Amino acid sequence: MRARALTRYAALFGASVLALTGCFAGPAKAPAADVTAKPEFSGTLSILTKFAGDPLSPYFEDLAAAYERKHPGVKVELIQETDQSIKDKTKTLTASDALPDLYFTWTGNWAENFVRGGRASDLTEVIGPDTEWGRTFSKASLSAFAHDGRYYGIPLYNNGKFMGYNKAAFAEAGVGVPTTFEELVDSCPHLRKAGYEPVAFGNKDGWPALHYLQQLFAYHVPREIREADHHPGTATLDDAGYLTALKQFKTLVSACTDTRGGTNGVLYTSAQEAFSRGKAAMYYQEILEFDNATAAGAGAGPRALKPQNLVVRPLPVPEGAKGDPEAIEGAPEGYLVNARSPRAALAVDFMKFVTERRNAKTLSSPPYGQPSTVVGAVTPETSSRAVFQGIETVNKAPRLAGWLDMVTAPEVADAWLAGGEALISGGMSPEEVLESVRRASKSAK
Amino acid sequence: MPVRTMYRRALGLAWVIPALVLLGVFVYLPLVQNFGFSTLTWDIYSGSQEYVGLENYRELFDDPVFWSSFANNLWYAVLSIVFQVCGALLLAALVESIRSPRWARVLRAVYFIPSAISLTVAGLLFYFVYEPRLGLLNHVLEAVGLGRFGQAWLGQESTAMFAVIAMSQWQGFGYCTLLFAIAIQRIPSELYEAASLDGVGPVRRFFHVTLPLVREMTGLMMMVTVSGAFQVFNEVMVMTSGGPNNSTQVLGTWLYRNGFVRNDFGYAAAIGTVIFVITLALAVAQLWITRKRRVEW
Repeated sequence: MRARALTRYAALFGASVLALTGCFAGPAKAPAADVTAKPEFSGTLSILTKFAGDPLSPYFEDLAAAYERKHPGVKVELIQETDQSIKDKTKTLTASDALPDLYFTWTGNWAENFVRGGRASDLTEVIGPDTEWGRTFSKASLSAFAHDGRYYGIPLYNNGKFMGYNKAAFAEAGVGVPTTFEELVDSCPHLRKAGYEPVAFGNKDGWPALHYLQQLFAYHVPREIREADHHPGTATLDDAGYLTALKQFKTLVSACTDTRGGTNGVLYTSAQEAFSRGKAAMYYQEILEFDNATAAGAGAGPRALKPQNLVVRPLPVPEGAKGDPEAIEGAPEGYLVNARSPRAALAVDFMKFVTERRNAKTLSSPPYGQPSTVVGAVTPETSSRAVFQGIETVNKAPRLAGWLDMVTAPEVADAWLAGGEALISGGMSPEEVLESVRRASKSAK
Repeated sequence: MPVRTMYRRALGLAWVIPALVLLGVFVYLPLVQNFGFSTLTWDIYSGSQEYVGLENYRELFDDPVFWSSFANNLWYAVLSIVFQVCGALLLAALVESIRSPRWARVLRAVYFIPSAISLTVAGLLFYFVYEPRLGLLNHVLEAVGLGRFGQAWLGQESTAMFAVIAMSQWQGFGYCTLLFAIAIQRIPSELYEAASLDGVGPVRRFFHVTLPLVREMTGLMMMVTVSGAFQVFNEVMVMTSGGPNNSTQVLGTWLYRNGFVRNDFGYAAAIGTVIFVITLALAVAQLWITRKRRVEW
């Protein structure tokens, strides 16, 4: 009797599992959105942005209010997230098939996933380089979101990673702003003697280490090899440049940070603050942070970083680097239109409004300081000197190296994250880090 | 069966049906659903799913981070028993032995305060306590001449997990102390008076009167802390996100990382099932062990 009951319950459980598995066999496909249609100015337009918190959140809030005034039948619903939280939010919304009409994206593997999964509208007809709207953007920023010759993303701002130097600190230490990686490392004891932490660095979240690594990889590993290594299907990761880069990164952490092996315990923002307050002489940062770096130090005493003392340059190239010394790490960031949105045309219209020249100039100006991808929006008049200089350098760079955690498969990116942390803490040697990434890449094939 | 009995049974069933439906929909259905997901590889972007049977479970056994996460949960459980069960019981007995009721009340409140702080806030607070340059801990060590022991507590693989566990003990200790204090207060004072008249000292009183009479609460606390140790998530996410180099991953955060960072939701569901099985087994075992331990007087 008991055995029969057990069998009955087991059968019931098994049937439930199979039935539920069947029930969740993926979202129902909605008809592809028509982005070329005439927008219907009614209903709620939902948007997922990466502009949560100060000073960025008012940007979309103001634009949403202005758009609602322009089209009284439209309500704009903003979901604003931070750099860290948007990753989880986007994936949760994707998994539950609840993506908003318009959503933020990075370039590389991140955007490709949405394109491949049929969740990003093909915008070629409205934003391709030969269209009226497309011509308002820089070509490089448009092509960063292109896949198989089709254009999917609306680039909003450009970004790049630069070493920021506090000119006053270098003058006090009696050394010049370094022009090679070796000079940078050599300057560290002098800066320390002058009372500065040479390089402010916080790697609590793991990705700041990847920013150094990707730039060093770009310098040391030939571009074709590096790009092939981003894809598990073609990756070998056996170029000697990887090891050189990993060793140089370890040297930088050991010789130029005060926290050395404990850098994983420091917040990225704490490092930024150390630089802003004039406690550190160097800080590796994104263009998006330039204005914040100088603003945050205001009123923080005589040593605080002043805008005129901020010098931004690409990470100095190591001597004898055999890769791509002109490459700059960076990529534009932008928005995708949900391919299943019934308001796709309205989403496109909203983004046309966002990227109008005057709105693009506002975005590029303090306090936002996000260098717009719209041609002519970033000028010495609209942007701070550092932002203008940074974006000019990015625009002139022959090639951009995308963020390491975005250009490769998630398992490989995760292995790089763990490896970067282990390299800092001393838990792994450069050889062991590379081997762990090779293993991850192999299993991701 | 008489109609009246049938009616009473049907009425009884009608009363419990809403609760059963709620439990089924919000507790048991997700459990079964999760098991279903764990037998799939699932591309969240395209929505495509492929049945892989128990492949995700096989992968678990070959995954070194899964095992180190499991070990971290075990550490959590062991240290929670030491501090939140044994330590809290000892402290509760000390507090309750204080003759002044006012002081006893004050101390209970003092110990309980950390438990009133949310884990997320406490995690953030301790993040700054452990900060290598500005943190309170290193400054205190420096001030008492032990500066050489100062380090990046959360930045080193060797110390990060224990630093997180320490914060968790600080946060949960007071709550356990309060529960034990209540259990001790329920012990009739005549038993202590009789023991005193027999010349029993405070240590023997603790072992021969207090300890046996709070065993029900001790069992409950063991169950709560050990199950809690396998459900740890918030404090790790706030303080280290599982780093450096996955050294502070626990099963909960490894599940999260696989799902939300590595896009492997099937594998994450398999970890979820393992966590469920472990906590269920622990709960059943402890309920069974403590089933005949009810103390009555």
